[in-house]
Amino acid sequence: MKKIIISLLFIVLIASTLLGCGAKNQGAFDLEKEIIVVSREEGSGTRGAFVELFAILIKGDGIRKDLTTKEAIISKQTDVVMQIISSNKYALGYISLGSLNDGVKVLAIEGIEPRTENVMNGSYPISRPFIIATKSDTSKLTKDFISFIMSKQGQGVIAKSYIAISDDFQNYSTVKASGRIVVAGSTSVAPIMEKLKEAYMQINPGVVIEIQQSDSSSGMQGVIDGNSDIAMVSRELAKSEREKLTPIKIALDGIVLIANKHNPVVGLTREQVGDIYTGKILTWGQINE
Amino acid sequence: MNKSKEKFMAAVFFASALISILAVGLICVFLFVNGIPALFKIGTLEFLGGSQWSPMDQPAYYGILPMIVGSLYVTAGAIILGVPIGVLSSIFMAWICPPRLYKWIKPAVDLLAGIPSVVYGFFGIAIIVPLTGNSIVSASILLGIMILPTVISIAESALRATPRQYYEGALALGAGPYRSLFYVVLPAAKNGILAAVVLGIGRAIGETMAVIMVAGNQARMPVSLFKGVRTLTANIVIEMGYAADLHRGALIATGVVLFVFILIINISFSALVRKDRG
Repeated sequence: MKKIIISLLFIVLIASTLLGCGAKNQGAFDLEKEIIVVSREEGSGTRGAFVELFAILIKGDGIRKDLTTKEAIISKQTDVVMQIISSNKYALGYISLGSLNDGVKVLAIEGIEPRTENVMNGSYPISRPFIIATKSDTSKLTKDFISFIMSKQGQGVIAKSYIAISDDFQNYSTVKASGRIVVAGSTSVAPIMEKLKEAYMQINPGVVIEIQQSDSSSGMQGVIDGNSDIAMVSRELAKSEREKLTPIKIALDGIVLIANKHNPVVGLTREQVGDIYTGKILTWGQINE
Repeated sequence: MNKSKEKFMAAVFFASALISILAVGLICVFLFVNGIPALFKIGTLEFLGGSQWSPMDQPAYYGILPMIVGSLYVTAGAIILGVPIGVLSSIFMAWICPPRLYKWIKPAVDLLAGIPSVVYGFFGIAIIVPLTGNSIVSASILLGIMILPTVISIAESALRATPRQYYEGALALGAGPYRSLFYVVLPAAKNGILAAVVLGIGRAIGETMAVIMVAGNQARMPVSLFKGVRTLTANIVIEMGYAADLHRGALIATGVVLFVFILIINISFSALVRKDRG
């Protein structure tokens, strides 16, 4: 029995030492420390939009080069990005505005706070549209679903986690439709589409909506080939795609730069973000110069 | 009637046994059929020896040397940290531990084996990463903990299998209890303990989820113990969702490399076990 008590005490001792070290970590912010750059994996829609918006991507004829520094920590999930940032004082990362929580500090870009209204009026520059694209001669049912998405109810669903296009829309009136709609495309748009589908199917129980996740390009190809009705797209349409499909902006998604709560930096310029992510700026001190 | 029933049941048992062989066979076929063409298209040397991995760029580079080295570093770190602790605990559990305490330690070790790796990952992010960053060290510490149950249970049974007479003989010759343990019992169980280490290596090299969460996953040659690294498993999981064509093939070929590693590990494991018995 005595031994058990002693070993329990020992465990408590170890645990408190560990926690003690953790507490020490909360000391003064050292500007000479390296910026711990956190990025998403290649292929992620968020990364794709981020590197394009901050000119970290070189794109040309048959050339594509993502200049994101090789030293960047790569994280596959948004919540892991936030976890890394909240546990590391010197870390910097980016996530979609829709997934933001209180554990991290949001940085202003060019002095503008990434708030919903700033994204809506365009003053916060770092956003990407969520688009759906259809053929012009699409079915009546599909048109009804789109009219739901663009109604007060549909935009209300969007506004719960993303940014509605505008808050001034008509009410959706039920037509008691039935049938099947296939929606395919970007994985970034899919979560909000799932919510729209749920809300729509509650009003129209006779409708089956199938959501297939791939990426923006193959989603649009599917609609062009007639395999699906609506494409989910998380980027602007190319010219060739615009000729065959009609795009409708359904929501906006801001991309926000996040840092640890103990970080004294309040904002960055576009150029600074680009320089940090390409490895030209290495320490937090270099930002104030 | 009865005889045909017997035969039928025998066939059922046989078929059940075949399923695992079939599964291994199918996985092999899948890996090699999809991976080998990509390997040749990229060029074996460029693939295994190239130090640049940027599959989504144009032109793309498919060099997995950083990931091979990364996997080896992280695994070595896990062995350095996990094996001494594991072997010492197995000695304690097999020879020294009073039964009352054993009742608590054994289930704790078993529980350690049952914790899902995602949970280890979150533990790593919350406790280890704030201290040592997203780095080789963090991944090694976490893997060192994760291989403990494997190492402990196999080493423990190897130690238990050594005849009690060895220990008693050593005592009779005048050695103290600890001298007897370390100079007589431990060497006698050498092969079993090596087998435990080898299986620990296998567990460490194949671990994915927990490592992704703490290792940083930078696809470049490791630069420092306190900087991040990407392992072979992480490379596959991180990019599989987006990969198409040659990129996909390259990831499957990464799986082939991993498979060959595991094959080598398993062959050495069974060789050790056979040596132990023979």
